[in-house]
Amino acid sequence: MDLNPTAEDRAFRTEVRRWLERNVPTSDAKTLDERKAWHRKLYEAGYVGMLWPKEYGGWGRTPMQQAIVQDEMARLGAPPPINGLGIGFIGPTIIVHGTDWQKQRYLKKMLTAEEIWCQLYSEPNAGSDLASLKTRAEDQGDHFLVNGQKIWTSSGPIADWGILLARTDGKAAKHKGISCVLLHMRQPGVEVRPLRQITGSSLFSEVFMTNARAEKRDLIGNLNQGWEIAQTTLGWERGANSLGRVTRYAVAFNQLVRATKELRRGGKPLLEDAAVRARLGKAYAELEVQRYAALRVLSALQNSDSPGAASSITKLSYTEFEKRYFELALEILGPYGQLVSAREEFEDIDTSSGEPGTWATAFLWSRAGTIYSGSSEIQKNIIGERVLGLPKEVRADRLKA
Amino acid sequence: MDFSFSSDQQLLKNSARGFLDEHVKPATVRLLWDDPRGESDTLWKEIAQLGWLGLSLPEAHGGSGLGMVETALLLEEMGRAAYPGPYWPTVLAATAIELAGAEAQKKRWLPAVATGDARATIAFLDTELDWRPEAAQTRAEKTGKGWTLAGRKRFVPWAHVADVLLVPAQTPDGLTLFLVDPRAAGLALEPVPVMDLATRLVDVTLDRAPVAADALLGGPGQAGPLLAALLRRGAVGAAAEMLGAARRCLDMAVGYAKVREQFGQPIGSFQAIRHKCAEMLLEAENSHSAVYYAAWALDAKAEDAELAASVAKAYVGDAARKVCGEAIQVHGGIGFTWEYDLHLYFKRAKALESMYGDGDYHREAILRRVAA
Repeated sequence: MDLNPTAEDRAFRTEVRRWLERNVPTSDAKTLDERKAWHRKLYEAGYVGMLWPKEYGGWGRTPMQQAIVQDEMARLGAPPPINGLGIGFIGPTIIVHGTDWQKQRYLKKMLTAEEIWCQLYSEPNAGSDLASLKTRAEDQGDHFLVNGQKIWTSSGPIADWGILLARTDGKAAKHKGISCVLLHMRQPGVEVRPLRQITGSSLFSEVFMTNARAEKRDLIGNLNQGWEIAQTTLGWERGANSLGRVTRYAVAFNQLVRATKELRRGGKPLLEDAAVRARLGKAYAELEVQRYAALRVLSALQNSDSPGAASSITKLSYTEFEKRYFELALEILGPYGQLVSAREEFEDIDTSSGEPGTWATAFLWSRAGTIYSGSSEIQKNIIGERVLGLPKEVRADRLKA
Repeated sequence: MDFSFSSDQQLLKNSARGFLDEHVKPATVRLLWDDPRGESDTLWKEIAQLGWLGLSLPEAHGGSGLGMVETALLLEEMGRAAYPGPYWPTVLAATAIELAGAEAQKKRWLPAVATGDARATIAFLDTELDWRPEAAQTRAEKTGKGWTLAGRKRFVPWAHVADVLLVPAQTPDGLTLFLVDPRAAGLALEPVPVMDLATRLVDVTLDRAPVAADALLGGPGQAGPLLAALLRRGAVGAAAEMLGAARRCLDMAVGYAKVREQFGQPIGSFQAIRHKCAEMLLEAENSHSAVYYAAWALDAKAEDAELAASVAKAYVGDAARKVCGEAIQVHGGIGFTWEYDLHLYFKRAKALESMYGDGDYHREAILRRVAA
């Protein structure tokens, strides 16, 4: 056990901090073009696609170094890069399962955000039970004809390409008739309708596919291998992400403490209230434990033990913590916690969503983490079955199969 | 950066598990419930021979010079076995002597601790049950030959078997630490009946107890920072032991959920039970991160070592109580019986939760550090 950063990592952190201090934009990047420009700058500095192999335009860095970049960006409140799904999940899927042609065609433009990617997985009736998806891709010789509907598609309105899970064999068992194919989003058969979230913004959408066309050369892996592919490449970057998240929580904690010095109850600052102090102390203990856990995951990645199903524990831990944390913040702030435009004593906080916001926005966003990328309930099923070895549940769909 | 155990550390953990599985079975723990001392001298000598008592003491005084990470590994395994005996109070008191003692005091006590010939403990609490060292109420007065101590020390772990008590007392110079013979005149020891029958706590009344001039540990008025450091170290050790108790309960709950059938299925196949077990594992894993981060930070003298100790104690206290309690819930009625072993670990976790600073104490300590 040695939790000291290596000399190399320390030097890297200094280098990253210097670069960010010089380059972080002073005003918020508002338009897509501005966000793409910032993304490209980050990429050229070597801070995007850090875990990707060099031969595909990546930087061949370590998970720890990527965590350092995210940590330093969180510290400075730097806007995140875009195309996160592409770089975190879809690109790695293509690297692992794709053809040489696919790699040549798609990877570099994904890294530079020249093309934005989305993930076409969930459907109105296939959420946690993703394998029951109904969108069909029919073999038309040189291409597939795609019909169906997807939902909760992040970046849908700005996406150029999507990675699609669709049924290619209606007769096979439900996990065995699904294929994975890349779909061009800018075509007449694809209609994107933004969905408004409880935050008021529209970062995800519905996608309707009516006789849309997906090329055969864009099939990932073999026909009907889609479920397996979706399972093996989820979570390339999950472990490395958690350190930066914890730093964002810590930045928010400092702002919360500042607010409790301003707000008064019974003639003295809230920070001197024993009940408030006890709860803040408990929250900070939990926050620190999330940080230690993040270091532990990074260490496991560094030792190249793949965290596997254990990454479910990490995801479950920080997303559930985030809910409790912002619930507490809003309780302490009282009516001020509901403000949707920031006042000086409640400065903008990083809501971890990519949209700048207030405590209220962070509180609302915290409800998302325990739903996306496998809900908490699904994570607990995975932990129970694959980590603890508890017996599988009796399920109607398994009885049929 | 490496959060995993070295092969030596893993070896130590495995051998501790093997020894305790064989020599400290639940039946062993139960046998000692009715013993007036509550511990076994044979077992004490055996763990001395294994090198556990001298593990963290300097080599010059018969120890192995290892750190808090190794000590925490042992304590986790001891918690897992609900080990009955004064291991942690003795090692912590020996650390105090190592840190602040005169050469003669070190020579007198450290090799004796390492060989299993001496037991020791620290009397942190007075009648107000305030964990802040400066809140000590016991007073020491100077006499012609030395000092007299007057006060009442509460809930002192294993004082009845100790060969030396470390007693903090207020003097005109400030807080001072004294080495006191528990069998000396003016001391009355009274066992406190508590629910974990394998953890012995004792009230110590000092009625103008005479103490020799050379019984000061460190200089007069110098004990405050030392006691704060010992409390933090004690807290990390207690957290490791609670982690072990929680791991044992988790293992028992998962094992039971795999074989216990209701409605024609193992109960572990039901989400209500499986999700509970997953949450218990989450708490155990987070506790592992907290304990070993804090232990490493002490060894490495990291700048956040003091914060990490409080984080570990506050977090693991809550987590272990939850995990052990939920294990009883998963078991149902059998988990609530005296015959079933779950309550050994449930009670151990609860006993340690209030020692070396309870959750409130450490949460306040955390906040004082981060919200100045």
